[in-house]
Amino acid sequence: MAVLLTLTLLLPLAGGIINACFGNRLPRPVPVIIACGSVIASFLACLGALPGAGGEGLRVTLFSWMSSGTFQADIGLLFDPLAAIMTLMVTGVASLIHLYAAGYMEEDPDQTRFFALLNLFVFAMLTIVLADNLLLMFLGWEGVGFCSYGLIGFWYRQSENAEAGRKAFIVTRIGDLFFTVGLLWLFKLFGTIGIEAINGRATELDPLTVTLVALLLLGGACGKSAQLPLMTWLPDAMAGPTPVSALIHAATMVTAGVYLLCRMFPLVSLSPLALGAIALIGVLTALYAATCALGQREIKRVLAYSTMSQVGYMFLAVGVGSVSAAMFHLLTHAFFKALLFMAAGCVINLAGHENDIYLMGGMRRRSQTVFWLFLAGLVCLAGAPLTGGFFSKDMILAAAYAKGSPFYLTIYGLGVATAALTSFYSFKLGYLVFAGDYRGEELPHELPGLMTWPLVPLAVLGLFGGLLNLPHLFGGHSWLSAWLVRQGDVLDLPVAVEYRLTGLAIAVFVLGWLLAHLRYYRFKARESGVLSEFLLAGWRFDGLYRRLLIRPFNGFGRFCWQGLEEGLVNGLLDGMAATFVSWGQSLRLLANGRISSYLQGFIWGLLIIVGWFLLRAVA
Amino acid sequence: MIVPIEHLLVISTILFVLGLACVIVRRSLIMILIGAEIMLNAVGLTLVGAAAFWQRIDAQIMVIFLMAMTSAEVSISLAMVVYLQRRKNSIDVRAFDEMRG
Repeated sequence: MAVLLTLTLLLPLAGGIINACFGNRLPRPVPVIIACGSVIASFLACLGALPGAGGEGLRVTLFSWMSSGTFQADIGLLFDPLAAIMTLMVTGVASLIHLYAAGYMEEDPDQTRFFALLNLFVFAMLTIVLADNLLLMFLGWEGVGFCSYGLIGFWYRQSENAEAGRKAFIVTRIGDLFFTVGLLWLFKLFGTIGIEAINGRATELDPLTVTLVALLLLGGACGKSAQLPLMTWLPDAMAGPTPVSALIHAATMVTAGVYLLCRMFPLVSLSPLALGAIALIGVLTALYAATCALGQREIKRVLAYSTMSQVGYMFLAVGVGSVSAAMFHLLTHAFFKALLFMAAGCVINLAGHENDIYLMGGMRRRSQTVFWLFLAGLVCLAGAPLTGGFFSKDMILAAAYAKGSPFYLTIYGLGVATAALTSFYSFKLGYLVFAGDYRGEELPHELPGLMTWPLVPLAVLGLFGGLLNLPHLFGGHSWLSAWLVRQGDVLDLPVAVEYRLTGLAIAVFVLGWLLAHLRYYRFKARESGVLSEFLLAGWRFDGLYRRLLIRPFNGFGRFCWQGLEEGLVNGLLDGMAATFVSWGQSLRLLANGRISSYLQGFIWGLLIIVGWFLLRAVA
Repeated sequence: MIVPIEHLLVISTILFVLGLACVIVRRSLIMILIGAEIMLNAVGLTLVGAAAFWQRIDAQIMVIFLMAMTSAEVSISLAMVVYLQRRKNSIDVRAFDEMRG
């Protein structure tokens, strides 16, 4: 069991290292086979280790990483129910995406670099998930950040791609700073960085400290999960290849923040203020991103904003104290969003590498398979009744409703409004892409088989993901909550209230659909206007940050460069040097190489000395 | 002593200053060497005068040494003058200012 768990972690690392070191010397399909094989083997190993995760979980300490005084950090794995379900999702979805990528990247000359980074990413993500202490988790946290940077800027020859990679790296680094401070503070408070030890002793802390630490962790999570106010990097991250968007920026890495909060939930939950902040940030991001998704023109950017919005729902779930709802939505979202991204990659291929949804249309006639797969993802995203997304979103909203206080009821209201918007933009996307006639001029590119069939299992998982945690109302037994030992998350609302909430969820879904149908079933014209420009630019947050942060920073940098360094420091040194040079210039006239003038010097010196002695003798 | 010591000192001072002026002012190497010789002889004259004034033999021995040293110095100096003349085809002291800063 322990060996299988270790293999789960190390196989993607091995695949990544082999591809990074020798990939370019291997014949063409071999690196791809190594990459896919290692991740699939990792998935199978995880399946094998799964029975060990029940109850108390499985612990493996590979070796001591560093130890100094009381400080001890092990390379240790903790395979408890929460980690198990996450590992299974990461390796499973990553396997399918690797297969898809094998088709997608078939002709790319830099295939090996791509697969090496992708494998390393899976390893780093598994490190986050399986780490038993915060420092190891942080190692994985930085690892996924690095791989994300490398993969967003994968086609770095176009400078905007490289720029998007840098932006993602730098913006998430701000969040990481909060995480680092929180980590160090926790070590100072407890003298240990073990996750279980910290969670177990969290009650010893006073409320203020808990709140501050929880808010620091929230800051870290916000950076990685693209939540307000650190969300600007995610839409630009779509510059990367589509499998990367599917794996990193939809299914796994952006959910790392949610996972961190779930992991530290016993600590975070001690502070009602921090929970409120988490819920508020979650629901505001969900609403913000849903409005932005309305105005986007590129298919992948719509999906990026919808990802941000759905991750906001997960934050909301953590904020209302329902870890199992967060994990439930995380799972179903991973399935349907990976599906949507990969299907979007197919659509882009069908449209002849055209990204603009206003230049698509009529894609259904080009490929029925892609249409049905994409539709499966869309209905999950929109929350169509009985799909996975419906149940998980419903559970989150119900949990917010059940909190009862006016604050949480407001959040519930915002969540429902977001659900309506989600349904609206999902179907807008669907109608613009698939309905009507083709509006562009490109010819479809060929779709390799590897780019369609890995989507089928994801579609099935997305559509039937609700079975994982089917509520009692629908005859289920909330399996996921039981597996996570979070039976408290199963709400005990009166049946009438549950019907009302479910009815409302269905109603907003239908409302969004109807509005989208009326407006977009027949394509009229490209939208323009102040509002849609505003939404297209993501509420102009980029501009705001440029004005508030980047320009002052640039100005400060220029001041330090031209004012302090070149002006003050260089000026001082140059001035001193110039003074000495001019002194030297005048002094060198003395050394004119003529013996007679030297002798004059002797004589004058002699006269002075003699004169001095004479004066002394007289006085 | 027939000549008073003061006269002797004045004479030798005048000789010394003349030699010094010659060394400083003249440009020909040979004239500079002659100036140096005059300065040395002014010193020798002072030593002889001093020996006569105090009736001591030491200063006269010193003068013998001085003459021996001077002859050695002159032979070396003249050899160098010949060498320098060969090198730059000139014995003008201004030609030898390679140590100029």
